[in-house]
Amino acid sequence: MKLKVLPPTLRKNNRYLTVEIKVMCPITKDDLVSIIWDACIRFQGELNTANFNLWVMKFFEIEKTEDYFQYKAIIRCQRGFVDDVRSSLALANRYNGDRIAITTIGLSGTIKSSQKYI
Amino acid sequence: MFFDLNIRGAGLENNIALASEASRYGWGHINFSYNQNEFKEGLELRDELEDSLSDVIDFDYTLEIKSTNINEIRKIANKYRNKASCISVVGGDLKVNRAVVENVKIDVLSRPYLKRFDSGLNHILAKEALNNSVAIELCFKDVLRTYLSHRSKVISSFKDIYVLYRKFDFPLVLSTRSESIFDIRTTHDFISFFKQTGLSEDEINKSFETSRNILEFNKDRDKMIFRGVRRIVDEA
Repeated sequence: MKLKVLPPTLRKNNRYLTVEIKVMCPITKDDLVSIIWDACIRFQGELNTANFNLWVMKFFEIEKTEDYFQYKAIIRCQRGFVDDVRSSLALANRYNGDRIAITTIGLSGTIKSSQKYI
Repeated sequence: MFFDLNIRGAGLENNIALASEASRYGWGHINFSYNQNEFKEGLELRDELEDSLSDVIDFDYTLEIKSTNINEIRKIANKYRNKASCISVVGGDLKVNRAVVENVKIDVLSRPYLKRFDSGLNHILAKEALNNSVAIELCFKDVLRTYLSHRSKVISSFKDIYVLYRKFDFPLVLSTRSESIFDIRTTHDFISFFKQTGLSEDEINKSFETSRNILEFNKDRDKMIFRGVRRIVDEA
């Protein structure tokens, strides 16, 4: 049996971060999920990360240069924890021994409006 | 406007790539930093960089002195004072930290906590930094490139410096010290990180203001007879 959808007043308020990812090796959406969770848990701890309501909504491959692969993604987080998530993602440095850089290039209240940053 | 006084300078291509990326991420002015051995070669790239970056971003040069010999630091600072828009000294050694904050010719004491178990500053050094207008620089890269206990220790040093900063109000400068495009973040990410470590938004904005003041002060430094007295050209 499916749970009934919560009324709007009881739902969580979300914000959508558009992030740009530069990485030296190719990654998939699943890899990005583990990178984001790992970065948040490492910087903010398990207890704080529980508040973030993290979810990778969309994942796009943008370009491939000689030095790196570039991706963009839309990440959901809870309203009020945007700075916490941003700073955690900014501190992601390595993935499987390869250099990685994640930086937030846009912030919006809906997925639709966050797509203008892609 | 967002200022970064410490972006590690290298070859021409790397500098252009870093500057373009910094501009795209919202930075308004960057300073390429070279140590005393590479500074002259760095200055030779200025014309080519100006051609490439004229409508992209403002840039200038920082001399980053790395030495544990106090006399050598003093001599190098005097030698390059008119050539660099900012002179910083890498700290970490207590004697160096002390000598730098007592020297008015030096603009920035960079990373006083480097390779130490404490912040490298105390109330005496903080007062001296205020009296001589020597800014204390904290680098984002020191947190980015470390992890687990080392990262915690660096952030702990940052917090110790914030306590002294709030009491003595010495100039504080925040910078990225990026070496490659993997180290650069957007200005919002940079601000978010320092907010998380305990600085307020006003204090962060003040640090950018401090960077701008250092650059503006150094433009007029050669006309300065002593503090507060400046030779002006009478145009009337």
